[in-house]
Amino acid sequence: MIADDKDVLRDVWFGRIPTCFTLYQDEVTEREAEPFYLLLPRVSYLTLVTDKVKKHFLKVMKAEDVEEIWFEYEGTPLKWHYPIGLLFDLHASNTSLPWSITVHFKNFPERDLLHCPCNSVIEAHFMSSIKEADALKHKSQVINDMQKKDHKQLWMGLQNDKFDQFWAINRKLMEYPTEEGGFRYIPFRIYLTMSDRPFIQKLFRPISPDGHTHTLGDLLKEVYPVAIANEAKRYQVVIHGIEPLLETPLQWLSEHLSHPDNFLHISVIPAPSD
Amino acid sequence: MAERRLECSWKRHVVEQLKQRDRVQRHAFEEIIHQYNRLLEKSDLQTVLSERYQSDKYDLQNRHDSSPGLDLSRNDSLQQEMAQMRIRHQEELTELHKKRGELAQSVIELNHQIQQKDKEIQSNEAKMEEYQRQIAELEGECRELRGKLQDLEQANQTLKDEYDALQITFGALEEKLRRTTDDNQELVSRWMAEKSQEANKLNAENEKDCKRRQAKLQKELAEAAKEPLPLDPDDDIEVLAEDSGKGTGETSPNRPLSRTPRRRPGNSYGSSPECTETPSGVCADVRVPATALHVFEAHDGEVNAVRFSPGSRLLATGGMDRRVKLWEVVSGRCEPKGALTGSNAGITSIEFDSAGSYLLAASNDFASRIWTVDDFRLRHTLTGHSGKVLAARFLLDNARIVSGSYDRTLKLWDLRMKTVFAGSSCNDIVCTEQCVMSGHFDKRVRFWDIRAESIVRELELMGRVTSLDLNHDRTELLTCSRDDLVKIIDLRSNAVRQTFSAQGFKCGADWTRVTFSPDGSYVAGGSADGALYIWNVLTGKLERTLDKNHSSAINSVSWSPSGAYVVSVEKGCKAVLWSDM
Repeated sequence: MIADDKDVLRDVWFGRIPTCFTLYQDEVTEREAEPFYLLLPRVSYLTLVTDKVKKHFLKVMKAEDVEEIWFEYEGTPLKWHYPIGLLFDLHASNTSLPWSITVHFKNFPERDLLHCPCNSVIEAHFMSSIKEADALKHKSQVINDMQKKDHKQLWMGLQNDKFDQFWAINRKLMEYPTEEGGFRYIPFRIYLTMSDRPFIQKLFRPISPDGHTHTLGDLLKEVYPVAIANEAKRYQVVIHGIEPLLETPLQWLSEHLSHPDNFLHISVIPAPSD
Repeated sequence: MAERRLECSWKRHVVEQLKQRDRVQRHAFEEIIHQYNRLLEKSDLQTVLSERYQSDKYDLQNRHDSSPGLDLSRNDSLQQEMAQMRIRHQEELTELHKKRGELAQSVIELNHQIQQKDKEIQSNEAKMEEYQRQIAELEGECRELRGKLQDLEQANQTLKDEYDALQITFGALEEKLRRTTDDNQELVSRWMAEKSQEANKLNAENEKDCKRRQAKLQKELAEAAKEPLPLDPDDDIEVLAEDSGKGTGETSPNRPLSRTPRRRPGNSYGSSPECTETPSGVCADVRVPATALHVFEAHDGEVNAVRFSPGSRLLATGGMDRRVKLWEVVSGRCEPKGALTGSNAGITSIEFDSAGSYLLAASNDFASRIWTVDDFRLRHTLTGHSGKVLAARFLLDNARIVSGSYDRTLKLWDLRMKTVFAGSSCNDIVCTEQCVMSGHFDKRVRFWDIRAESIVRELELMGRVTSLDLNHDRTELLTCSRDDLVKIIDLRSNAVRQTFSAQGFKCGADWTRVTFSPDGSYVAGGSADGALYIWNVLTGKLERTLDKNHSSAINSVSWSPSGAYVVSVEKGCKAVLWSDM
């Protein structure tokens, strides 16, 4: 069982999405740019892993035509501060692979996207998510007891794709006092495609007051019952590209299927109608 | 159980789902994307190279556009250009090689330097270790020393405390001693006062006695004057005549009345009136002194005692100035040799021991003292008498001393003191091996056995005994008493053999000393009027009177053992050296 758990963690960490980056046709180039194919890590962030992409396309462009790079999929600007896996599950889950992303260098959509001038911005965002998650799980005790070098190690593990380095520290964040039975509250966000709200985030305990463990189904029932209202299965609940059973315990999900920022990012998408 | 299965089911579902996802999304595309990227890199490289060659070609073309020429020539020039380019490249290559060589050289040098530095570091580390070891050693020593220092400090502290405690006890004891001494002195002074009262009483009695006697005498004289007494024409007048015939200088008639009968000595002395040669052993040559050789101030006060040393060279005088002065008789003069101090009151009598190395002096401060003659150092102080010590003598073995005192006791000292209560103040003492003779205030001469420490005999005289002297072979005792008579007592028969008197001869004090000449043929005594009287023992008559040089009563006389000199000392600080020259 524990071996299974370890496997789950590895599979979650090393998940990849095949992506094809194509330069926007209206960009001014000196010659034609070939598309760039890349396997993107599900758990990382766009601006962190697309240096090669940028270099590839800069080869064919003049320096004065280059502004900040940004990405879009089928017209939707992709928010770099969402994990890549979440973006794929949310926007292109049931489309044919590889995932086609268009690369822009001009006309940055100020209203839709945040600027990402350098990697320390991504680090700050990443660390703030971890702290928020620990505030929900342990009242921030574990994260505050850690030293600065531990925080750094978490970021470096993510940046350099080092599973062991990252989990050496992250396992502390996954511990809980045995008498509690679980975290204080589960850090989760439910993302919806058809909604004006970016996501749903609420306080939810993993163990009910009478000791009964909450499941994914309990969470959805509580927080977004629309997702499981059984009208011929209209929605899919996707985490890391898979649909866990609704009876999966929420505590287990939080421990094993969280992203590196310690949040359970859950996508609720309309089921494909074949 | 159902829950386990349930758990397994959802977990298994998740695991399977993840595996499938990876298959679809990752594995299918991984290889393709990898190969695609490689091709892309290669093509990029080709593009770069081709671009570079293209730019070179364009340069060449531009240069040749200005001069139109044949294709051939253009080809030639192109080839030339190519060759030049090749040369340039070769040069670049050689330069790069050279640079590489230089870099390699610098690398070697740096390596060498690094090795040196390593060696230095090692040696420094070794030194550091050495120093650290030394430091540890020194620290150990330091700790030890500090420990020792603490111990010493503690010991010192304890000693200081002990010292303080001892100081306190000492102070207390000193206080006690002072108090005791004060008490003692008070008691002594009280006792002295009482003693002096007693003495005064005795003196008064004696005076009364004397007066009574005188009165009686006068009465008898008066009675005798009334009646014509039958004069006894025998001895008196004869004696007178002989006396006046013999004497060379001043003479004075005997007193008309002499109470005590004179007995002629039987055997030892012949009836011939020779006086000069009676060799009785030691002394060779006794001469009756006729002239005063040297008159000198001996002391700052009364001179009480005088004695020649056994060797006849030294003379000791003692006086009321508390000193015993030593004089050397050199060519008819007395040269001062030294003074023996230590006595706290006037000296009453002096004696040398038989070797002449010790001097014993009795003093009014109730003590007798012994000095070594050579270095004048006080050797012994014999205290214990509770009155003035009037005489002290060595016993024949020089190891014991007997002293007689005003407190009516004789003390025998053997460096252990023995006190014998004599019953009366003792004025003078003489010793033989077994016997001590003491003359007392109560007119008695007491004979003491030394070992038994008790009186063997007593002899009564007519007046307070002031002086005793023995002749050389200890057969005769010379006594002088306050009734102004000088007697010779034969010790074997224990009876008075001879009596000497003279008209002017009066005892000046209770301690007026008379002396035998060394051969026992003369007797010398000083008188209260300052005259020195010398009697001839054989004849029993006054031999000479020397009265010119003393101005006050003579206290003591000593005859030198060689017989040549006589010294007399007087109340008035003077001493006179007499001889017959």
